[in-house]
Amino acid sequence: MISEYNISRRGGQESLFGSVDKLALGLYVTIVLIGVLCITSASYDPESANIFSLSHNYMKQLMWVGISWVAATVVLLLERRLFHMFAYPAYILGILMLLACLFFGREVNGAKAWFEFGSIRIQPVEFVKIATALMMARVMSDYAFNIKRLPDLIKVALVIIIPFGIIVLQNDTGSGLVLGAFLFVLYREGLSKYIYFPIIFTVVLFIAALIFNPVVIFVTLLVLFTLYNMFKTGEVEGHVRFFFAVVLASLLLTLITPLSGYAALMIVCGIAAVALAVLALKTRTLMLLWPIVMFVYAMLFVPTTDMLFSHLEPHQKNRILTFVGLVDDPRNVGYNVNQSKIAIGSGGMWGKGFMEGTQIKYDYVPEKHTDFIFCIVGEEWGFVGCFVVVALYMALILRLMRMGERIKEPFGRVYCYSVAAILLLHVLVNMGMTIGLMPVMGIPLPLMSYGGSSLLAFTLLIMIAIRLDASTSEKDIYSNI
Amino acid sequence: MYEQGYTRYRILRIVVLAVGVVMLLRLFSMQILSEEYDAKALKNIVRTEVEYPMRGEVLDRRGEYLVKSRVCYDVMVIHKELPKQGFDTLRLATILEITPEALAKKLSQAKKSPRAPIMVTNYLSQENKLLLDEGGFTGFHTRFRTAREYPRKIGGNLLGYVSEVNDRQVRMWEYYDVGDYIGVGGVESAYETDLRGEKGIRYRIYDSHGALKGEYNDGADDILPVKGAQLTSTIDARLQEFTEELMVGKIGAVVAIEPSTGEVLVMVSSPTYNPDLMVGRQRNNNYAAMLHNQRQPQFNRAVKAKYPPGSTFKLVQGLIGLQEGVLRPSDRYPCSMGFSYGTRKMACHAHSSPLNLQDAVAHSCNAYFCYVFRDMITNAKYGSIKEGVKRWNEYVYSFGFGRRLGTDLYGEGPGYVPTPEFYDKSYNGKWNWGSVISCAIGQGEMGCTPLQMANLAAIVANRGYYYIPHLIKDIEGRDSIDRRFYERHYTLVDSINFVPIVEGMWRGVNVAGTSGKARLPGLDVCGKTGTAQNPNGADHSTFLSFAPKNNPKIAISVYIEHGGFGAEIALPIASLIEELYLTDTITRPDMVEKVLNFTPNYSRNYDAKQRAYDKKREEEQRKKQKR
Repeated sequence: MISEYNISRRGGQESLFGSVDKLALGLYVTIVLIGVLCITSASYDPESANIFSLSHNYMKQLMWVGISWVAATVVLLLERRLFHMFAYPAYILGILMLLACLFFGREVNGAKAWFEFGSIRIQPVEFVKIATALMMARVMSDYAFNIKRLPDLIKVALVIIIPFGIIVLQNDTGSGLVLGAFLFVLYREGLSKYIYFPIIFTVVLFIAALIFNPVVIFVTLLVLFTLYNMFKTGEVEGHVRFFFAVVLASLLLTLITPLSGYAALMIVCGIAAVALAVLALKTRTLMLLWPIVMFVYAMLFVPTTDMLFSHLEPHQKNRILTFVGLVDDPRNVGYNVNQSKIAIGSGGMWGKGFMEGTQIKYDYVPEKHTDFIFCIVGEEWGFVGCFVVVALYMALILRLMRMGERIKEPFGRVYCYSVAAILLLHVLVNMGMTIGLMPVMGIPLPLMSYGGSSLLAFTLLIMIAIRLDASTSEKDIYSNI
Repeated sequence: MYEQGYTRYRILRIVVLAVGVVMLLRLFSMQILSEEYDAKALKNIVRTEVEYPMRGEVLDRRGEYLVKSRVCYDVMVIHKELPKQGFDTLRLATILEITPEALAKKLSQAKKSPRAPIMVTNYLSQENKLLLDEGGFTGFHTRFRTAREYPRKIGGNLLGYVSEVNDRQVRMWEYYDVGDYIGVGGVESAYETDLRGEKGIRYRIYDSHGALKGEYNDGADDILPVKGAQLTSTIDARLQEFTEELMVGKIGAVVAIEPSTGEVLVMVSSPTYNPDLMVGRQRNNNYAAMLHNQRQPQFNRAVKAKYPPGSTFKLVQGLIGLQEGVLRPSDRYPCSMGFSYGTRKMACHAHSSPLNLQDAVAHSCNAYFCYVFRDMITNAKYGSIKEGVKRWNEYVYSFGFGRRLGTDLYGEGPGYVPTPEFYDKSYNGKWNWGSVISCAIGQGEMGCTPLQMANLAAIVANRGYYYIPHLIKDIEGRDSIDRRFYERHYTLVDSINFVPIVEGMWRGVNVAGTSGKARLPGLDVCGKTGTAQNPNGADHSTFLSFAPKNNPKIAISVYIEHGGFGAEIALPIASLIEELYLTDTITRPDMVEKVLNFTPNYSRNYDAKQRAYDKKREEEQRKKQKR
């Protein structure tokens, strides 16, 4: 605490703007302005009498840009310690807001995630991201904190899971998944990489279970794990024998009993797994246990996928099924993505020009100024425009990570990483959605999508990171390496 | 700790960069490598709209309109564009001239496919279209079409009508799409490719809500519709109308041809119908009503019906006899009220006997032509009667009987001429000249269309050849009609042999014979009556004529079902038509009166049929109602 106090004194109020990271600030401003341009293109109405009327989306967004920049200035002028102090109250306030929203909020597109004040709609989850990031930073910057200790890990997990749970209850799963971005931060902070395997494994299994026949999945897993064991133990013959034994036994069982191929395979694999586990324990080759555990997990998970899946909301199911290509429905669920892909794909190298995008101008892309704003970049500015925008985002994210690295103490680092992770996930999911790489999840493109509360929240999110970094001079990072 | 942190920083940096690279690779493949999306984007906004051309018009031989095209509009609704606060449906229904219920039905139909244009009504007049535009009914669109209009309301079967294409036609021909119009029957069908013109295409930009946003490429790629060609018909509208009036209440057909060209001057199939009935919203009802009419107004008797030609066929028989050399004009045959063969007798009417060829034609002696026919088919040079009949067939075919003439008349039928094979079949191979003798006087199995009979009149008028009868003599934008209409078709009978026959026909009218009433001073009318027996009731009345004798201007055949003697009704009709055509006047109003007041007795066939049919339908409807 003392050192931190010293740093802030060393930074000093008077030289604050001198020590602000100008690159990050510049990237932020550029992205915001590109966003305003895109919204202008999406909502410009040549027949309107007063093009500066506040009834236009672009004028509203400009107004919000003004508000955000005032807020940004305030944030940059705030004492650094305040954020540290604010973490708990902000987090609690955020949770309360989410709960209030759950009970008194307004339902939009099936998600009860909005507050409405007159014509302004605010989505509390936008601000909860800031609160959670601050809270994460606060919890993880405690002196006694060690991520490898279970109680501390549980503490961190709770910080993420509590808001996540409420958001899921709000039926806004897409926004909730953004909190998954903190796994990125936890990895940086030393969380064991083995935690990530089951998560990735589960996601892959889930999608595979929807697309492929279970027999195909299990035979693939069998082959993969056999190969893994082969390389790990260096023993080839035994594993090949084992593999064929399982396959032949399954086939035999299918032929001589009325069981289906799937059931036979499951029985044989079950017996084989138990036998192998016993063998592994006896011979103390514990590394063989990993594949067995994962295989058994898959055996339990794949059959329950359908059950899990049936618990999803119909629109979520449709989005996922459309994404994995099981449902081809360009008129309904697929319509948005299809039109979005047409918009971007028809942009070519240089694009159709500002306000010349036919998909945009003639209203073929729904939500073009909010979730699908990247279509405007793609269609009107082409690949060149897309390249610039993607590069800007990546540069901002990398810059934030680097800022995190050069802040010596963990509070700032965890916070900066949180911001980078949240941005990365938003960019990945949103852009991925517009080009058909991701299912439709209804989360905005940070800083560009139309919407005041979103812009304000992301501005605050980034400005706090810049403010935390502002008191660290460039030298510090090199002196520490 | 810090070491590990830095390693992980580097790993995470790679993760971030990887995300960026994956995005950019995907974008590169979509935007630069793939052409698919460009086409799709264009397809989204550009809609091709068909612009219907004006259908070609048809003039009569004097340049007056037989068929006109008038502008009308289809009214379509796109449900999605309808104002949410509703609109004045009552006023709209009034403008569209439909009932509010019908409008409501169409709107609920449109609701099922809210983005697609659904037809509300068609044949909206230009005045009402303006009212609709002024009314500002958003969501309602009009489409330019043309409808047919008939100034004289004549020529129902002759002209045909225009209808929407059916599915089969859409599949069969590339040109047609659902909703297009196509000619059905008559001139409309025969000259469809000339009349329809060329459809135009307009490329227009629409937004996703279906609102028009402008012309694609400023209309540079649009194709303008081309109006259909105007046809000039050979029909004389005034004569056609007059004939249709004369034919009211009678079942039969009249065909008149200009012998020197083959141009059809008049073609009436009776009962006919007002072609306007086949236009507009009531078309289906009118069509159904016609289907239920047992007199079959839609059956074009002039080109399809197979009538026994009766005595008019004696002309052919005489000509064949002369050509074959079995008959000389001076040959006389006895007739004692008929022609006896074996135990049977072919009856004839009272006239002096024996007669030479000319008088046999003039008096229409049955016995005379039985002798001629017998002598021809039993001629020893053919060896057998079969060969004789075969040779006779060839002659008859050369007169255009028993085959289609190849006219431009829609639905032309071949008629029927009995062949030796036919007799073999029906008599089990055992037949002699007595079995076929009724062919001598155009009875028996002979079936001719009124068109073929008129063509026979033209052949005789031309002394041995004909031009294929045709209805259209000029097509706008073309130098000539089909070349087949300019070729002379000769019969197997030499021109010289026509002289006594023509003389006979002239004498029948102007000296003494069955056709005396057809005499027109100074016009040298030639004619031949026919009274065809038939199993359905009273005799058919027929008359075949041409005038003047030298350099004939008109050849005509009139056929009235169950009209009695040829001279009774067919002759006056033919004579009046000739008079009007050749002199532009009618000097015998009493004859017109007589024709108009003449009512054949159809009670035994058509009327009885109609009664039975109506009764059956009534019963069926009653059964339906009970259910």
